[in-house]
Amino acid sequence: MSAPGRIAPAPPPTWRVAAASVRGASHERLSLPCQDAHQWALLPDSFLVAAVADGAGSALLAEIGAAVAVSATIEAARRRFTQLKLPNLKDDSAWHELLKELLSGAREAVEQEANSRALPARDLACTLSLVIATTDFAASIQVGDGAVLVATPQGEMTLVNRPVQGECLNETIFLTSPEALEHAQTGLWRGHLGHVAVFSDGLQMAALRMPAAEPHPGFFTPLFQFVGGQAEGPEAHEALANFLTSPRLRDRTDDDVTLLLAALLP
Amino acid sequence: MPIVSQNSSHLEATVEFADNPEPRCPCVLLLDTSWSMKGEPIDALNQGLQVFRDDVCKDALASRRVEVAVITFDTDITLVQDFVTADQFQAPILTAQGTTHMGSGILTALDMIQARKAQYKAAGVLYYRPWVFMITDGEPQGEAEDVVRTATQRIREDEEAKRVAFFAVGVENANMTRLSQIVFRSPVKLLGLNFVEMFVWLSRSAQAVTHSRTDEQVALPPPGWGTV
Repeated sequence: MSAPGRIAPAPPPTWRVAAASVRGASHERLSLPCQDAHQWALLPDSFLVAAVADGAGSALLAEIGAAVAVSATIEAARRRFTQLKLPNLKDDSAWHELLKELLSGAREAVEQEANSRALPARDLACTLSLVIATTDFAASIQVGDGAVLVATPQGEMTLVNRPVQGECLNETIFLTSPEALEHAQTGLWRGHLGHVAVFSDGLQMAALRMPAAEPHPGFFTPLFQFVGGQAEGPEAHEALANFLTSPRLRDRTDDDVTLLLAALLP
Repeated sequence: MPIVSQNSSHLEATVEFADNPEPRCPCVLLLDTSWSMKGEPIDALNQGLQVFRDDVCKDALASRRVEVAVITFDTDITLVQDFVTADQFQAPILTAQGTTHMGSGILTALDMIQARKAQYKAAGVLYYRPWVFMITDGEPQGEAEDVVRTATQRIREDEEAKRVAFFAVGVENANMTRLSQIVFRSPVKLLGLNFVEMFVWLSRSAQAVTHSRTDEQVALPPPGWGTV
């Protein structure tokens, strides 16, 4: 209750997140673990930092690479947010630089992990998508396939990062590839932010209209309603995991699938 | 927990999927049907083709994504089967006759792949790196050396540009030295007439391709049916 004549400051908007990585049918058949990983953190000033990594099926310890890549990225972002002042949201080049710094940190973490196991880095090959988002701004960097999508509360959807792949579908660039930093794609977005989605390439054919990679609104609208609605915490993650392993989706893909959804609650 | 199942079944009922055509993995079987294949080798090859078809079709997703074409080379180059998805593929019964126009066969296979990719692009279909799988028991014979040289050059260019993965398998008295000069990857020598095991391996490899990605070359499990 505020005293008459005084207005209590509105609480800052908060994020609600639902996320799941599930093992694909082909990985089950081949007794491979789920090689996708995701992690996120909520930081001051309504900042969300989220990362998704997809381990290469052909790499020996892809699941370790993916796990190290996301945790190193989120930790580095957390440190960066608490120790240093963030760039001005209008300063494009400073944000591009910050994104590249986080990506190259993730790459070094994966290389170190490989070194400590006396393995070549390519045995831990994975893609990485990172997004940093707040009420009116999103910044993203990605190496390899997967995608980062933002939406306004009115449902206008934009891919700030789209799948990066060669001519053929099974060729992509990984975080551990020599040309990773040079080929990484950054994207900045400004507008009234309502929702964010980050997903691995296993969902690509169901969520995007190919080959143009246009977001399919019929896919995202119900999911955004779901994450902004009642479901919260472990129940929300489990409901999402159940959806990602549903027979209908499994008929479309037998790859590992990761989907991280976030809604900004006013 | 009732809330959980309600949520996820609600998602299953309301989330709509983008209506994309299935991505394709084109695979050309380029088969030597010259006279020396007569008898046991051609019978074993025919049996292997049947096994290949049956095995790919065990994997529902792969059977919709792997596209098979069959070209034979002897004195003639014959398109026995144009590209069809594996679930539509009927294994042909091949017969052996004539000499070994391998170079012309290679060029026909690479042309077909190029044309197929143009069709995919026009139709907005995504694709995996195409494969040519050549099986021979001999060496180029009865055609101009120029044609073989051009074919060798084309394989090298297409492999380097990652336009194709070209595999060669030598059977019985195949000239492996000559074969390794023509193809870019090391050819594999089939142990005996173990076509069945080879085609099961090919089918599994094609299935694996439609399920994963690689950054460098098509990653294949080591064959148990041949020697490099």
